[in-house]
Amino acid sequence: MDYNTIFTVLGICVVAAPAVLVAAMGLMALLDRSPSEAAMGQLTQAAVVTGLLAAMAILGLMLLLDTRHVPIELGNWVIIPEQHFHFKLKFVFDRLSVPFVILSYLLCGTVGAFSHVYLLREPGRMRFFLLYALFLLGMIVTSLSGTIETLFFGWELVGLSSALLVAFFQDRAAPARNGQWVWTVYRVADAAFLVAALTMHHLTGGGEFDKLMGAGPWPEGQAALTPNQALFVGALLLVAAAGKSGLVPFTGWLPRAMEGPTPSSAIFYGALSVHLGAFLLLRVSPILKLSPLLCAAIVTLGLLTAILAAMAARVQSDVKSALAFSSATQVGIIVAEIGLGLYYIALAHILGHACLRTLQLLRAPTLLRDYATLENAIGARLSHPSRLWERSVPAGLRLWLYRLALERGYLDAWLADYGVRPVVRVFQWCDRMERKWTDFLSGGQSRESDRVQPSPETLERLEKLL
Amino acid sequence: MLRDQEDRSEQLDELKHLIEHAAHLLPAQGPITVFVHHNTLHAFEDLPFDQAVVEGSRIFGCEPYLSEERYREMMIHERIRTEDISAVLIDDLGDEADVLLGFLGTRYHLRLAMLQHPLRTAPAAELRWVVAETDALRRFSPDVPASVRERSIEQTRHWVMRDLRNGGRPVADDEFLKNEIHDLIQTFGEAHIEEWSAATWESFTLHVLWRMCYHGVHGVHTSFVPTPPPVRVRDVLLETTGTDSDEPVNELLIRFCGAFLDQGFAHWRLPNRDQGFYRAFLALYREPGGPPDVWREGLHKVLDELVRNQTGPLECIDESLSLLGVATEEREAFLSAILLSLRGFAGMIWQMETRGDRVAHPAPTGSLIEFLAVRLILERFALAHAAREGLGFRGPLEELRTAARRAVTPEPGHYAVSVEQRAFMVFQLAQALAWKPQDLYGMKQAEWATLVQEIEAFSDVERRRIYHQAFERLYMNQALDALTLHQRRDDQAAATPRLRRAGATSNGNPSGNGRASKPKFQLITCIDDREESFRRHLEEIEPACETFGAAGFFGVVMYYRGLTDAHFTPLCPIILRPSHYVEEEPVYIFEETHRRRSQTRRVLGAATHRWHIGSRTLLGGVFTSLFGSLASFPLVTRVLFPRLTAKLRKKFGGLVQSPPVTQLRLERGSDVPPGPHKEAMGYTVDEMAGIVERQLRDIGLTSRFARLVVFVGHGSSSLNNPHESAYNCGACAGSRGGPNARAFARMANDSRVRDLLFKRGLTIPQDVVFIGAYHNTCSDSVTFFDLDRLPASHKTDFDATLEVIDEARKRNAHERCRRFETAPLTLSPEAALRHVEGRSEDLAQTRPEYNHATNAVTLVARRSRSRGLFLDRRTFLTSYDPAGDDEHHTILARILRAAIPVCAGISLEYYFSCVDPAGWGCGTKLPHNVASLLGVMAGAASDLRTGLSNQMVEIHEPLRQLFVIETTPEGMLQIMRENEQIDRLVRNEWVFLATLSPHSSEIHVFRNGRFERRRPGSNTLPEVDSSQDWYRGWRGHLGFARVRAAMSSPSEDA
Repeated sequence: MDYNTIFTVLGICVVAAPAVLVAAMGLMALLDRSPSEAAMGQLTQAAVVTGLLAAMAILGLMLLLDTRHVPIELGNWVIIPEQHFHFKLKFVFDRLSVPFVILSYLLCGTVGAFSHVYLLREPGRMRFFLLYALFLLGMIVTSLSGTIETLFFGWELVGLSSALLVAFFQDRAAPARNGQWVWTVYRVADAAFLVAALTMHHLTGGGEFDKLMGAGPWPEGQAALTPNQALFVGALLLVAAAGKSGLVPFTGWLPRAMEGPTPSSAIFYGALSVHLGAFLLLRVSPILKLSPLLCAAIVTLGLLTAILAAMAARVQSDVKSALAFSSATQVGIIVAEIGLGLYYIALAHILGHACLRTLQLLRAPTLLRDYATLENAIGARLSHPSRLWERSVPAGLRLWLYRLALERGYLDAWLADYGVRPVVRVFQWCDRMERKWTDFLSGGQSRESDRVQPSPETLERLEKLL
Repeated sequence: MLRDQEDRSEQLDELKHLIEHAAHLLPAQGPITVFVHHNTLHAFEDLPFDQAVVEGSRIFGCEPYLSEERYREMMIHERIRTEDISAVLIDDLGDEADVLLGFLGTRYHLRLAMLQHPLRTAPAAELRWVVAETDALRRFSPDVPASVRERSIEQTRHWVMRDLRNGGRPVADDEFLKNEIHDLIQTFGEAHIEEWSAATWESFTLHVLWRMCYHGVHGVHTSFVPTPPPVRVRDVLLETTGTDSDEPVNELLIRFCGAFLDQGFAHWRLPNRDQGFYRAFLALYREPGGPPDVWREGLHKVLDELVRNQTGPLECIDESLSLLGVATEEREAFLSAILLSLRGFAGMIWQMETRGDRVAHPAPTGSLIEFLAVRLILERFALAHAAREGLGFRGPLEELRTAARRAVTPEPGHYAVSVEQRAFMVFQLAQALAWKPQDLYGMKQAEWATLVQEIEAFSDVERRRIYHQAFERLYMNQALDALTLHQRRDDQAAATPRLRRAGATSNGNPSGNGRASKPKFQLITCIDDREESFRRHLEEIEPACETFGAAGFFGVVMYYRGLTDAHFTPLCPIILRPSHYVEEEPVYIFEETHRRRSQTRRVLGAATHRWHIGSRTLLGGVFTSLFGSLASFPLVTRVLFPRLTAKLRKKFGGLVQSPPVTQLRLERGSDVPPGPHKEAMGYTVDEMAGIVERQLRDIGLTSRFARLVVFVGHGSSSLNNPHESAYNCGACAGSRGGPNARAFARMANDSRVRDLLFKRGLTIPQDVVFIGAYHNTCSDSVTFFDLDRLPASHKTDFDATLEVIDEARKRNAHERCRRFETAPLTLSPEAALRHVEGRSEDLAQTRPEYNHATNAVTLVARRSRSRGLFLDRRTFLTSYDPAGDDEHHTILARILRAAIPVCAGISLEYYFSCVDPAGWGCGTKLPHNVASLLGVMAGAASDLRTGLSNQMVEIHEPLRQLFVIETTPEGMLQIMRENEQIDRLVRNEWVFLATLSPHSSEIHVFRNGRFERRRPGSNTLPEVDSSQDWYRGWRGHLGFARVRAAMSSPSEDA
């Protein structure tokens, strides 16, 4: 047995463990069979431990053999010869993906064990663990993807499970609304991603990162694009990353995502999901290198996010929003680091930040006790001495800045009132035109539904009308 | 001019009065760090309970009782019995029980049937689907017994074959129905009617019944009174357009209120906070160039004008009210509705304003009015925007009220109850009671109307009320029976000493008549229901010990600061404000150690704080994140191995803990008034003697002292639990009561105090030593204080006591574990103790303990009346010896003055949070988010949530508290006369009251305004050897039982 076979077996283990978990949970959910709480916990732990051990083994072997790039191909799954399209499942273990996979397994495993106790007797427990499994699978696929299609596949799984977990408490209005907000932002990001992927296919004739970025192991590849092409594709990918990582102007979804149970907030928004945009930028870093303009844009966006979020974090009076904005601050800095070409620092930053924030979020409910402990140790009320820059800013400007921070940079208002509203208006206009036209054609009121009022009994009255 | 001004100020005063009146509806929960249980519907206490819950549920939009399904489940498990339902029903109906309703029998029978059979209802559309698509018309409901089903089918068959087809009897004059039934027979195949199978007949019967019911209730006039239009335009708009104008307002206000109330979490404090809510808001939002939100376009201009005209908050409210077109007579209702729309924050502002002593940064007086002023300005903008978007309305706001109401005028023919819903209700009853088809067939329209009205008069709230009363009745009867029977058996046992266990004879009668030997030790705990099992186990392990219950502050009302505490904490019930201060100090030889360690602590604390803050800032965050990978170690170990991690932490934490020997600064010179300075701290000897005397007389411990008397305060510690304080001692206002026990023991040990007491006729012998201790009810650990002062002569006594207490901790943990789903039922007591220790250190644990869940009874009596009775941790036990009281019941009155409101508050808070956890309580704990260091929000940005969480109340059974008091009915009535609050709670039935005769097992129950002598309903009380024999292997509810092991100390009134 040669090393390649071992790598392949281990690699399949890494990917298959969460896939099997999703299949098992999904099947049980489909058959309306809820496994016992203990069984669910054991199943999850088994999948995570298998995947984690396999990933560690691969890391060990790679260190032992001194390889930096281990591709595992699982063949073409869809081939459309006329369109020159093939959907190729390919996973790559390299300096970027291996740490990310191990981090995902470690944090997901811990959070899984935590949730096992935390969600005891919760009616939506099965749904939670199914989404959790889906998320884990998405994370692993995204991290290991060797082609842009595979990456998109995992990226979508992560987005779907995250949005559904935000709306976990579906019987209250706020989680459902905020879940939808997150989902909408993700869709915008996905659209940008998809266009970028198609463009890259078009430019290089395939979705494999090897071809796109040149054959060198990450991050030393050389992309075969012109600077203008790189700028175009890179800008689209930057939009995708901005949506996923809560960069300006999408930062507002991050605190809104704190609607789910504490552990899901911790793992998704504190730790893994929010870094996915940065991961994407790291993955396509050879493209970024080609266009200095793009790099400048990335740095600007990152710093802008970091500054805005840091200000917002300073005025938050509830612990989870404060942590969400602190996360956004660090993600902004990480993105700026990527723009500056500091890839290894960015990677280390991601790993450290993810662990730290998960711990902080998991113990967020214990804040009151922590503060009491600190006060007792220090022997006085905790104070926040104002910083030099705060004191040197004139009072009027300080007020203005405070309002900006309290209103979270007005980003949500801009998005809703100046981004979404015009779109809605346009479609409403289309609707009015259509109605006029059909009314004209039918010579009277053409739509029964116009007369129906929105209320719980709507359905019933609709029935009467029909 | 002057006149105008006077009028104006009078008007504003009235407005202010209205607002303050409305404020009483707001939740009265203060900061979550000092959680005090209180009646959720405190504002309604002057109404009878049943009326108040209905009224409250209307105003707050929450449930008054459990759901009908829950009560039905209880019927299945015999927690509600038919006999109790009928007794309650007869009582409730009074003379109306016998009203005859044609073939339906009496009103009582109809209502009983409606309670016995599950009646389901659904929206009309769903019912139509049920009838058309399910087998509702093919098979009888599975709840209907087979015999009833058979009878029903048989009747129909007879009727069809004999009367309908052969015209034996006159048929109804209703042609339509006649034809319908005829068609029905055709459809089923009249030709083969004699060969119809049983299934066909069943289906046919149901079809006939359904047609008749549907036809019968058709056109019955509705007695339904249309609800008045909502007082807020927002509700009307929500109904017509689906847009909630509160949404943007609340989003902004939640942020702003959070910043305003913040107790020091945000690094950047709200500018101008000292100037109050209104001015801070105006200052922040009056400048242009602010938020671009479309709905509040122009807000800054309005605010700027308010500032320039120097309009005060009250005037501003007045202005907003007229702009919104609120008529003078609507004002009160409107203002209440507005306040309740963000009730958590409004209530917290009111609390911070009225009880500013409980927080670090109180709110200035008038903050609630200022909040309301801002709320109304925003309301104006949000409504105008919503009306513009939804209705295309652009006129002045005051006209919006009428315009919007016009838009919701209900369509004619749109009833609150649909024909389907009515028909289905009758249909289900017809099935369950086997009503004869010919009876229904012959019913006139007026009779149908009566039937429908009768059914609708007994609405679901009414049904739930009866279920609830039946549920309470059973538990109350069982409890009172248990007390009576227990006493009788004690009396029998005393009369025949031969039957007593060998150990019993040697240790005698505790009433102090000289025959008895002294108890091994005496132990006094809080009255808390969680200590009941602890005391029971102690008595089982060492039958020669005695236990007492007293409110857990033990009469020591103080501000206390521990050696490692930053601030003074009030350790006394919330209604008292202490004037004495007590501090813990290191003893002389450890002063240096203490100084060094507190230095280290301060350095470490400051570093941690910097790390805390730093991790959330820009550059500090980079630094901490780069080392953040290190966080994975505590992350993984804390989650996977909580107990081990806690042990390690304790080991290392020991280096910075307070030194091993400390003392309390407890004594002050008699010439210094009490105060927070070093010299003014503590009590004079005289005051100490007063405290000790009062406490000992309260619990009736005035003679027969054991050599060792242990006072045990209690508290609870858990992680990731914002409600941690709610688990602590209620008598210490949500703090831990250890220091009170410690202080009390020190006082009682003081020889000068004993001399004073001796002069007042209370002799504490020389060889009696008091010890203070602290019981952690979550991890079941017990810590003792001041053991360095334990005389050598008492070392063996203490060792023996310690052994008993250690065993009791294990058994107590074991009994608690039966309720924890993650603890296997087969755990050994040792493993159970480890389990509960792990629970209190587990970050992921949402149920560190169950707190007061299942509390149901308060017993104010000598322990001998309940000793050896298994009370399942459901009873508050207050020790009181009527023999030691005077004829004015002075001691009892002062005990009850605290005990009844406090225990009723706990019981009622649990009642409401349990009945509707998402409405009255704070919902599930999982998404809780600590806000402003004051309370919790659900998720990212919600109102502050008050009350208890799902996880705290899930095993609770909502029962009103039953107080059983060892005194005479006359004595109790006298106390009620003198105490208005007790009287109100009892007479309005927020609690139940019974007296237990001091001389016999006779019980009087307070009903309908007077005490009635009670006849025991049952003669059986199970008897077991030990508590374990009774509770082992069982998670759910357990009844009362007599435990022999604890019985060796015979009752004193034998």
